[in-house]
Order: sequence, then C-alpha cells, then structure tokens
Amino acid sequence: MKHVATTSRVGRPGIAWAVPGVLFFALFAVGPMLLVVYLSFTTWDGLGSFPSVSGTDNWERLFDDPTMRQAVKLSIILTAASWLIQTPISLLLGVWSAGRQKNRAVLSAIFFLPLLASSVALALLWKSLLDPNFGLIAEIGPWIGIENGNVFADGTSAMAAVAFVASWQFIPFHTLLYQGGARQIPKSFYEAASLDGAGTVRQFFTITLPQLRNTVITSSVLMVVGALTFFDTVLILTEGGPGTDTTIVPYLMYETGFQAYDMGYASAIATTLVIVATAISLLMVRISGFTAMRSTREGM
Amino acid sequence: MKTATRPDHRPSPSAPSGPPAPQVRNDRGVRGRLRGVRKWNIPAGVAALLWLVVVGLPLYVLVLATLRTNEAYYDKGALSLPGGLTLDNYRKVLEGDFFTYLLNTAIVTAATAAIVIVLSVGVGYTVVRTLSRTSQRVFQFFLLGLAIPAQAVIVPVYLLITEMQLYDSLLAIILPISAFCLPVCVLILAGTMRDIEEEMYESMALEGASQTRILLQLVVPLSRGGISTVGVYAALQAWNNFLFPLILTQSRDTKVLTLGLYDYVGQFRVDIPALLAAVVLSIVPIFVVYLFARRQLINGLMGAGGR
Amino acid sequence: MRTAVQGPARGGRKGTRRHRAAALTATALAASLVLTACGSGGPGEESSDAALEVWVYQDASVTVQQAAVERFNEKSDIKAELVEVPGQNYQDKMRSAMGTPNAPDIFFNWGGGSIANFVEKDMLVDLTPELKKDTEFRDSFIPAILNEGKIDDKYYGIPMRGMQPVMLFYNKKVFKEAGVEPPKTWDDLLDLVDTFKKEGVTPFALAGTTPWTELMWVEYLLDRIGGAEVFDRIRGGDSSAWGDPAVLETARTIQDLVDRGAFGNKYQSVDYDSGAASTLLAKDKAAMFLMGSWEYSTQQSNNPDFAKSDLGWTTFPAMPDGKGDPRNVVGNPTNYWSVNSSLKGERREAAIEFLKTTAEEAYVKDMVENGEVPATTDAEEQLASHPAPDFALSAYDLALDAPSYTLSWDQALPAQQASPMLTNIQKLFNKQLDPEKFVDAMKALK
Repeated sequence: MKHVATTSRVGRPGIAWAVPGVLFFALFAVGPMLLVVYLSFTTWDGLGSFPSVSGTDNWERLFDDPTMRQAVKLSIILTAASWLIQTPISLLLGVWSAGRQKNRAVLSAIFFLPLLASSVALALLWKSLLDPNFGLIAEIGPWIGIENGNVFADGTSAMAAVAFVASWQFIPFHTLLYQGGARQIPKSFYEAASLDGAGTVRQFFTITLPQLRNTVITSSVLMVVGALTFFDTVLILTEGGPGTDTTIVPYLMYETGFQAYDMGYASAIATTLVIVATAISLLMVRISGFTAMRSTREGM
Repeated sequence: MKTATRPDHRPSPSAPSGPPAPQVRNDRGVRGRLRGVRKWNIPAGVAALLWLVVVGLPLYVLVLATLRTNEAYYDKGALSLPGGLTLDNYRKVLEGDFFTYLLNTAIVTAATAAIVIVLSVGVGYTVVRTLSRTSQRVFQFFLLGLAIPAQAVIVPVYLLITEMQLYDSLLAIILPISAFCLPVCVLILAGTMRDIEEEMYESMALEGASQTRILLQLVVPLSRGGISTVGVYAALQAWNNFLFPLILTQSRDTKVLTLGLYDYVGQFRVDIPALLAAVVLSIVPIFVVYLFARRQLINGLMGAGGR
Repeated sequence: MRTAVQGPARGGRKGTRRHRAAALTATALAASLVLTACGSGGPGEESSDAALEVWVYQDASVTVQQAAVERFNEKSDIKAELVEVPGQNYQDKMRSAMGTPNAPDIFFNWGGGSIANFVEKDMLVDLTPELKKDTEFRDSFIPAILNEGKIDDKYYGIPMRGMQPVMLFYNKKVFKEAGVEPPKTWDDLLDLVDTFKKEGVTPFALAGTTPWTELMWVEYLLDRIGGAEVFDRIRGGDSSAWGDPAVLETARTIQDLVDRGAFGNKYQSVDYDSGAASTLLAKDKAAMFLMGSWEYSTQQSNNPDFAKSDLGWTTFPAMPDGKGDPRNVVGNPTNYWSVNSSLKGERREAAIEFLKTTAEEAYVKDMVENGEVPATTDAEEQLASHPAPDFALSAYDLALDAPSYTLSWDQALPAQQASPMLTNIQKLFNKQLDPEKFVDAMKALK
C-alpha cells in the first residue's frame, strides 16, 4: 500500500526493458500457441509446404474420439493421483526436514537424488526395476501385493506405476518447497499455541497448515502443470499401454503427431491442452492474487 | 512486517553467497525454533524413514546392477549380495559419445539459464517499477502462460524451427524452452524485486544514477535470491527436457544427455547393466554441482515456492 | 544470427538512455545466442561439395555399411558420410527429418508404407530407369525381394541388408529335458503348450509391452488361416478385408493361446528392447520365441554359448484346414536404400553409384561374415563362410522358397494406420478387446 502512496516519478524505468523479453516470448511461446490453433484446422502430414486450412474435420473427430475421451479421463486421474500421493508426503517430509539440521545433511543427498536425475533417466531405471522376470519387482512384488510382478498387465496398475514413478521423482522438489515454507513460520506462533495447551496435531492444523497456504497453492499448481508433462515417463515406461490405458493427452498428441503423422489432429488435441492450461493459469492467478501489485511477503 | 522485524526466520537475500557468519546465525535460529516444534515430528519422522527406504532401495539396486556383468545381472536376483563386481559397464558408456552428449546438455542448460535470467530481469524490473498500464498488461500477458506446458505446442514449434532452418541445432532446443520458462521466472523475479524498498530507488535516483546503474547496482544485487531461483528453475527445465530434443534434433553432434540415454536403449539392446551405468553417469555431473553448491541449489529451489 | 545482432543495435543508436539499456539487454541475449550457435555448429549448410548424408538404422549390422562407405569414399570425389541413427524410433526420426532441410540424402527404410508418403510427395528418386539400364545390377538381387521395394510399379529402394524372415526359435535344452520335439502341426504346438506349462517353463516368450512382437503372431496366423491374399487386399487399401472371416478366426486363436497360458502369466510386462524376452529364451525360462531372423545374431552376441549349442529354429506350423501355404513367410524381406529427390546432377549420380556398392562382392561377403543372409542371387555359395552356415542356409532357403513373403504389416501400411493397428493388437493380446470388437476396430482404420 505504501508504494502507491509514495508514487514518485523519480527513478522509474520505461517499458523498453521489457521489450526483448516480450518479443522473445511472443515469438517462441505465443506464436506457437496461435499456430497450433491454426494447424488444428488443417490436414498436414508433416511433409512439404506450409499447410493450408481444410476445415473443422479435426474438431469433429476430436469430439467423438473415444481414445481422446479416455485420454482426458486418464489425464485427470493421473493429475489427481499424483496430487494425492505427493502433497501429504512432501508436506510431512518438508515440515520434518525444516528442523533437524544434523541428519538432514546426511540424508538429504539420498532424499534429493531423484530430483537431480532427468525424467528419462528415472523412467529407464524404473523400467528395468519393473521387469517382471529380472527386475526388483520380481523379488519384492509378492511382498507388496503384485504377485507376478506383472505391473503392466492392466490399466490400473500401469497407471499406478506411472503415478508412482512421477511422485518418486517430484516429491523431493515439493518437499523442498514445504521445507522452505515451514522455515518461514515464526516459532513464536508455536510457543503461544503451546501456552494455550494446543497439542501437536492441533498445532499442525491451526498453525502450520494455514501458514503454508501459499506454499500449498504454488506446489499444487506446479503439480498440476507437471502432470501435463509426464509425457516422458509414459513414453518410456508404458508407451501408452496396455492398449491405450495410460495414453494421457500429451502422449496421445505425440503419438498422433509424430508416430501417425496426423499433425492436424495432433494440433487439435494440443489446442485443448493449451486451453485447459490457460484456464488453470487464470484460476491460479485468481486464487493466489499474483497480479496484485504488492510484495510477496506481505500478509505473512 | 518487514525483514528487520524477524531476521531469523528468513534467509536474507545475500545468505546464499555471503560469508559464513550469517549462515551460522541462521542455523541457530532454526534450531532454536525447533525446540518448540519437535513434538509433532513423529509421524513426519516415520514418513521420512519410509521414504528413505522407497528412495534408497531402488538406488541400491541401480548401483549394484551397474557393477555387474550382463550374465550376473540376469542370473542373480536384483537384491542378491554383491560379488564379482566390475567397472566394465562404465567403461563401455564412457568410450562412446557420452561426453559429447554431456557437453551439449551443458551448453543447452547454461544458455537457457542465461537467456531466461537476462530477459526476465528486464521484464520483472519493468513490471515492478513502471507505473504505466502497459506494464500491467505485460505482466498479465506472461501470467497467462503460467500453466502452459511447452510440450503442448511441439507440433507448431517443429514447424517454426524447421521454417527458421534451425532443425537439428542446439538453438532449436534452447529457444522454445527458454520462452516457456519466462512466465514462472517473471513471476518469481517480480516478487523478489517488489521487496526492494522504494526509498532505496529514490535515494539512488536523487544521486543522479541512470536506469542502467539502478538496475545493475541496486536491483540485481538485491534480487540475487530471485535470480538464482530463476537460474536453477530454467537450468532444470533445460536439463530435464526430452521431447524437444527428441523431435527437433537427430544427429550425434546435437544430441543431449536425455536423448542420448533414450537412444542407449536401442544401442545396448540386451545390455541392461550398461544402460543403467549410463543412467548413473547422467546423474553424476549434476550431483557434483549439488555437492558444491548445495545451499544455492536448495535455496534456489525453495524460492520457487514463493512465500 | 546477423539480424538478431543488428536489430537491437540500431535501436541503441537512437541515443536515449532507456533505449540503450534495452539494447544492452538485447545484445547480451543476442551474444549468448551467437555463442550457443557457435557451440552447436549451427544449422547445417548444404553446399554442392558436402558429403552425401547416408542414414542407417544403428545395430550390429551397421559395420557392413561402414565398410561400404569407406570403399566408396576411396574412389569417389563426392564423399558419403554415414549417420547411424539408434534403433528406437528410427522411423519417427527419419520421418521428422524428411520434413526439414536437414533431410538425409540416402536413407535406410523398410519399403512399403514406410516410404509411401514420400513417394506421394515426389521426395524420392525413381530408380526404375537406372535398373533398366544396368541389368546386371538389377539381376544381382532376388527378384521377389527387389520387387518389394516397388511402389506403383516403380522402384524406389535397393536391398541393402539381409533377409529377415520371422522364424520360430526354440531352446533345445528345454525341449530335451521335456522329451519333446519342435512343433510340426498346430496340434503339436498346442500339446507343447500343455507340456511346458507342466514343466514350469513359459511355452512362448512374448514381449507384450512391445506390440510389434505380438504382430508377428497375428501375421503368421492370418497367413496360415486365410492365405496371403487377405493381407494383400488390406494393403491394397481395402479396409473391409479386415472383415474377412480369417481375421476373426485369427483373433480367436490368439485369445485361445492366451487362455491356454501359451505366453505365461506376465507377458504383458515383458519388454523387447531391453532384451527381456530374448533372455527368457536363453535362460531356459521360455521354450520358444517367435521372432525375426535377427534373433540369431542377438543371441550370438549376448548369449554366445546358448546360441552355439542350444538355439534351435523351425518354421511356423500349418493350421488345420488353413488356406495359406505353410511355406509362406512373413517378416522384413530386407531393408532398402532410397535416395532423396532433392539431389541433383552429379550428386544424384554419386548417390546412385553408392547404391551399387550393395551388389558388390565385398559387400555381400561382409554381410555374410556379419551373420546376415543377403538378398542377392549369388549368396548361396558364400553362405559357407557365415558364422552359422546351417542357420543362414535355412533362412536363405526359407525366404527363397516362399511362395509369398509378406512385409511386416506395421511397415507395409501407412503410419496413420500402423500405429493404431499395433494398439489394437496389444489390446487383443491383453483381452481388452474381444475378437469381434478387434475386427470392428481394425475395419475402422483409415
């Protein structure tokens, strides 16, 4: 609020500083987004000259394509599943690791290793671990209820495997976010609560969780966005199978565009992705009030 | 509620690269707070132990597998005790093009981080300091792209890159990845830059400092935390990216590590230990970075959460 | 890159502080772009004396092409440069590159649907005139194989790899322990399934995460049940041919095999690319494996002892009342070189000269020594120097005697159909589609 009150013209830069960034973003991000909408109205096999508009065939096809319907459903399930797995675990781990300095130094290297590896590296690792004859799953499968280690036999367990591998990779990152958030909570809050006789669990729900509100939002948003990019994991781990049971929207787009070379239809699929993602962005901006011109630290 | 009122609970912007003294103070502050907090750590502690098993076991199996011959890998179980270990698999990988891939990845990662930092500092500065409505529009323009994954536009990017004659060059990967990093990075930097006190700008401006000087001597140093977050974020995006190299490059000279790993599957065929050795080797460089710059990296990542 | 640097620099000359600052930022950006461009070597520039870019699928056989390029470069002014593309997604990568200025000049392919789109867009050189002119070159290949490289009665491909019929491999040791013989009839095969199940051995290794390995079963069964004509009609563009009763019968047979446990109880998670299926056969965990003839060299390099003493092979048995000739073969007749039509003048001539290296004696010799079975007419006498002459001879005879040699469906059909077809086949094996629904789904392929 103070900023507005002292509005002064002194030391105010012009808009020119933003020009390179805006142009760059316009060319390599906004441009492709508009182009993908255009391409969704074309029939293009990826070869030859710039495609010209051919009608709404792709969109008509999109609306009664059972594979697309399934892909949307699977994407939602995967997003929800990874949120439900990752949030509680990384919240607990983050709050825990915000404190214990001694063990953290030793353990953090192991904790955060998955974060350091690329999705491709991890998907390849898990693919070998999930080999039902020679992998880790062949030995520990029976202990955890997967009798033959046959993880990719049906859609449910294949999807669970994808969600698990993605969580395995990203929990360390979200743990870090929560760890950072938990460190910001003044200890005086807890001391006051202790004096009031609030117990551990109550302190967690009345102090820690509300104080981490912004972190929860940010982390959740990153998870949702991240879920749209689990493509790498799916490509390597399941190739969308069994059948089409792990074919999430980004994978369907890849398969349609770069394996079946139906770039027009792939663009229609991609356009829906862009629309959904823009909606998520808007929602996020609403909830978090990112646009409000105020310090991020205010209101803490 | 400004920084001065509770310095202990927030790493100061200069902490990451500052002298050790403030860090010690910082640690003590955290530890001091812990006494009041430790009680409700039991469920979290159990979760942490479980997680350690979930993370540690696969990593153990991974490392063990890379130290075995192909024969032993298939004959013994994944969990059997080590014995008759060999480094051959690593040799096999390193004799190939591994270092070319690593170099390409390093170039892509560094270039992406550099481009993103330069561009988003400019945009962030304008958004925070310019009072015009246009700068608000600019900010909203970027925010709309916040949740859009670069993967969604791979088809038009393929077309664009081809038309620009950039297919199969490292730029083909760097440019679109950088562009899609911008929204999050602008948001982070705008947040950091807003914390710089109005008075500091005013005093510098009254001394007659130019815009460039204000940016370089005031804004950049005081946003160091945000800038390192942005750098880490962009670098991780570039490091991790797979779809863009897969579609936009093909030759050995432009192959990055992620694509190289994927191609090892076809190259090594039945040789899982060699493939896994390549996986381990791909983690080593960034692990070394992590060992040397743990604090910066962690603080950078934590910063991505916003506060 | 030049424009990127000039643009902002011009802005800077306007002189206000603001602009100069912005220019600084932009120049820094441009500089970093230029630096990275230098680091990467930048986009390729095609000059008239650049080497011919030759793309090949990277695997154990690539040494033959390496040697051929070396020999070619010794005598030719225009050099060739071999680009080895790792196997996974070769088709996709080649296809992506073909849409760009960085397209290869000469490239490995499977003929059929894998190049049909390129032919449609006039992107390949028609080799018919050349083959007419140089009959000696033409006659050095087995006609049936050379003809598989034809599209619309024109030749677009020259055979450059060995023949790869799909064969039924088996583990002799496991057969001996069970006291049984390899199957000669379908009933034999079904009996063997029961026998091996009792022995605790998976009757057939199958890589269920890699559906093109499942496709081989469908190809052979349809051929044996309905004859080669059914797929010929499909390939000719008649998608109603999927409605042929033989297709339904094939689908039912597949699910019958699944129900009998012919593929064990975890085939859905077994992978081909990582070698899991091949290893099952080599480690006595599976008795048989239906796979392309390259399986022999795979085993030879990964499990040499097994390949030497215990690896057996036979043909796919006939079906009771089947219409197909049991001598028919499916698989990849061979692979082909095709030439990009953007090559002109002496570069095109040089490319054609390069294609001719495949008929040279040295090339054929290299192939044989490398364990391949060449598609040339004079190969038979050379096969004695094959590392496994017995195997080579039987594969050669199998291919030579086959009344029909059906190209793998995923290569024969256009990519738009091949990709969903493989998904349907995986669903059939996983019992996510029943046979009737499978037929419907295949009929819907367009």
